[in-house]
Amino acid sequence: MAFRAFWNSPVGPKTTHFWGPVANWGFVTAGLADTQKPPQMISGNMTAAMCICSGLLMRFAWMVQPRNYLLLACHASNEIVQLYQLSRLAKSQGYLDQKKEEVER
Amino acid sequence: MAASKLQAFWNHPAGPKTIHFWAPTFKWGISIANVADFSKPPEKLSYPQQIAVTCTGFVWSRYSTVITPKNWNLFSVNVAMAVTGLYQLARKIRHDYFSETEVMAASKEH
Repeated sequence: MAFRAFWNSPVGPKTTHFWGPVANWGFVTAGLADTQKPPQMISGNMTAAMCICSGLLMRFAWMVQPRNYLLLACHASNEIVQLYQLSRLAKSQGYLDQKKEEVER
Repeated sequence: MAASKLQAFWNHPAGPKTIHFWAPTFKWGISIANVADFSKPPEKLSYPQQIAVTCTGFVWSRYSTVITPKNWNLFSVNVAMAVTGLYQLARKIRHDYFSETEVMAASKEH
């Protein structure tokens, strides 16, 4: 019963409202896979762009007709993953070394 | 004339007073970031990330014509994502699989 409801839903797998967000989960998966790679491979450009975009797309998912919770969940997750990658990159380039700076003074 | 067109844009359901405008506008950042990364050496590109960008671009180009309101800004930005993603993938694949012969030939000569 529940599966039928899902299958025939106006935002279900027969519609692009489902597959759009599914495609965007690719960013989350890619981001997670890339957390295992050395931070030098992280693209600052791309990661920063994604942090901004996922924030905006979370709002978009809430406001679009029909409201898209799958998309919202996807971009909330991506926001977290991309922020994490950004912090890894920043750390590897020495931007987050606050204690070190104090010691040098 | 121009004023009324500007007003039409300003008040559009997918116009600059709404998230339907700003989300796609900032999504251009992803394509711009990708174009900036055209100059990065292919070893530093990420297959998972570029595949995600490309697939998203294709699927969302379709998605943006089916939602309410229809969003051509979103459509064009996703077309751009698909194109830049494909180009980056081509660069990386060419580097990983098609320049090996050149490298092998060079090492054989030595």
